[in-house]
Amino acid sequence: MVLVLALGDMHIPHRAPDLPAKFKSMLVPGKIQHIICTGNLCFKEVHDYLKTLCPDLHISRGEYDEETRYPETKTLTIGQFKLGVCHGHQVIPWGDLDSLAMLQRQLDVDILVTGHTHQFTAYKHEGGVVINPGSATGAYSSITYDVNPSFVLMDIDGFRVVVYVYELIDGEVKVDKIDFKKTTTTNAH
Amino acid sequence: MKKKAVPEWLNSSIWSTSPAMNSTTTTTTSASASADLVHRYSPSSNPYIYDDDDVDPPAPPPPPPPPDTVRRDVRDRDPGRLGDYDRDDEGPSAEEISRQALLLTEVSKKMINIGELRRLACQGVPDNAGVRPMVWKLLLGYLPPDRSLWPSELAKKRSHYKNLKTDLLVNPSEITRRLEDSLYSDSKESKGPPIGMLKRSEIAHGEHPLSLGKSSIWNKYFQESEILEQIDRDVKRTHPDMIFFSGDSAYAKSNQDSLRNILIIFSKLNPGIRYVQGMNEVLAPLFYVFKTDPDEENTAAAEADTFFCFTELFGGFRDNFCQQLDNSNMGIRSTIARLSQLLKEHDEELWRHLEVTTKVNPQFYAFRWITLLLTMEFNFSDILRIWDFLLSDPEGPQETLLRVCCAMLILVRRHLIAGDFTSNLKLLQHYPPTNINHLLYVARRIICVLQHVILDSYSLGSVSCL
Repeated sequence: MVLVLALGDMHIPHRAPDLPAKFKSMLVPGKIQHIICTGNLCFKEVHDYLKTLCPDLHISRGEYDEETRYPETKTLTIGQFKLGVCHGHQVIPWGDLDSLAMLQRQLDVDILVTGHTHQFTAYKHEGGVVINPGSATGAYSSITYDVNPSFVLMDIDGFRVVVYVYELIDGEVKVDKIDFKKTTTTNAH
Repeated sequence: MKKKAVPEWLNSSIWSTSPAMNSTTTTTTSASASADLVHRYSPSSNPYIYDDDDVDPPAPPPPPPPPDTVRRDVRDRDPGRLGDYDRDDEGPSAEEISRQALLLTEVSKKMINIGELRRLACQGVPDNAGVRPMVWKLLLGYLPPDRSLWPSELAKKRSHYKNLKTDLLVNPSEITRRLEDSLYSDSKESKGPPIGMLKRSEIAHGEHPLSLGKSSIWNKYFQESEILEQIDRDVKRTHPDMIFFSGDSAYAKSNQDSLRNILIIFSKLNPGIRYVQGMNEVLAPLFYVFKTDPDEENTAAAEADTFFCFTELFGGFRDNFCQQLDNSNMGIRSTIARLSQLLKEHDEELWRHLEVTTKVNPQFYAFRWITLLLTMEFNFSDILRIWDFLLSDPEGPQETLLRVCCAMLILVRRHLIAGDFTSNLKLLQHYPPTNINHLLYVARRIICVLQHVILDSYSLGSVSCL
C-alpha cells in the first residue's frame, strides 16, 4: 500500500499565494511515501514545503520554474507500476491526449503524470493511463481562468491503483476515486 | 544421608507400568536410561518426596557423582553462553532422572492433575524431553487438564487467532478493496473501456487516505502506525545474540514476523495498555518454547498458542505496565514496595544496609526485574528454568517473582553489605551469573507472608521505599 501524491502547476508566487487552506490541512507529513510534481512550482519555498511532506520528491521542469535544473521528464518505479512525469508544455498540441500517448510510449511507462492544462484528466489508452492532476492552487492557465484547485493521490497496491481525486469546488473539498488494474498484457507490443 | 537399603521409590509403580506414553520416544528412553542409572548410582536421599519447604537442597552435596558437579560448574562458569539449549548432556543425577520421569508420566496421563504437575514442574522441566511447551500450556490454563479435550480446544483457539489476524492485520487499502468487491461484482471492473476517459466514482463514507475524520479507517491506521513502528523496532532488538530471533536468516525473519503480529494484535485488542516497551522481552521466551516444540503441528501453530498464553501470563502483570497505575496500590511502585518489605522480613540487615545506609532505591534495579520477569538478568536457558518455577507456583507468578527477586538479593548479600551505593547498584543492575537451582531453592524457602505484606504496604504504598 504505497501512497503517491501527484500535484503541480501551483505558480506560487506569481499567480497564487499558496495552496488552499483546506488542502494544506489534509496534507500532513507521515502519510505519503512519494510525491510527483509536474512542475511550475515556481520557487524554492514550495520545493521545501513539499520536502517536509515527504522526503521522496520527483519534479519535472515547468516553463516558469525558477530552478533550472529539474529534468524535462522523469521515470520511476513504484511497486508494479512504472510512472513517468513531464510538465507537458513540450507536448504540442497542449493537452492533446494522442500526443501525450506518444510521449508515454516513448517513456515506456504505465502511468504518465503531466500538467500544464490546469484541468484534471484521467485518460486510458492502450499504452497506459495519463493523469493530469490539475493545478493545486487553482492558478489561471495559458488557456483559461476558470480553474478549480485539484490534486491527485494514488494508492498503489500490487497490480491495482486507486486514484483519489481531490478538488476544491465552491470552497468544499470533493473527493472522487478511480480504480484501475494493470493487466500484464498492457505493454506487450 | 546415605541410605543403604533399596529406597522406596525404586519399588514404586511407575517402573512397572509399560510406557504408555504417546509423545516422543525420548520419554521412553529417558525412563529406561533412568532405570539404568538408578542401579549404577546409589542415591543420597529420597529424591522425589519434595515438599515446598523441604530441608534438603536439591543439589546433593555428598557424594557427588562426577557428572553432577561438572554440570553445576558449567552452569556457574558460563554467563556468556546464550541460546544454547542442550546443557545437561553429561548425565544428570539419579534423582533428577526420576523426577523428570515422574513429570513425564504426569503429562502423559489422560487426566492431568494440575496440582501435581505444578509441584513437579516447580523443580524444573527437563530441557531435552520436549515437554516444556506442553507443561507451560497446561500451567497457563491454555490446555485443559483433560487430554481428550485438547484437539477441539486447540482447533478452536487457533482458528480464532486466524480470524483475528485477518481482521486486524490488514491495511486500509485491503479493507476498501474488500468492501468494494463485496458491493460490486468483479465482471464490471474488468470490462472498463480500453480507450477513453476513465470514469470517476464516488467514494464510500468519505473514506480517503487523507481523511482526518475520527472514524476514518485511514486516520486510525496512521495514528496506529507510530505504535507499529515501535513494535517493529523492539522486535528487531529482541535477543540480538540468538539466531532464533535475529540475523538475516529466513527463520529469524519469520520468527520476528510472528512476534510482531502477536504484539500488534495484542495492542489492538487492548487499547487500554496498547504496547509498552518490554512486552517483547516477556513474549520472547514463550514464543521460543512453543516454537521449538518437537511436535510438528504445535510448531506450525506456535504463533496462535503463544498469543493466548501471552495474554494469560500478561494478565497477571499488566498493572505493572500501566502508567496511570504507577502510584496506586496495584502498580509497579507498590509491587516494588512489597519486594522491599519482603526483604525486610527475611533479611533485615541487608535491607537496612541497602535502603538506609547506601540508599539504593529498589526502583533502580527491581523495576526491570519485575516488569520484564527477569528476562534480562540471566541467560536464556536460565530464564526458561526460572519461568518453570514462576509458572508452576500455585500462588501465581507475581508472588513467586517477588520471592525470586528477594532470593537474588540475599544470595549476593555479602557483596552488597560490603559495597557502597555505586558498587551495589552496579552489581544489582548487572546481576552476576549464579547457580539457578540454588537461587530457586532459596526462593522456595522464602515464605511470602502475604497478609502482613499487603497491610504494611498500604502504609508504605504512597511513600517512597525508605
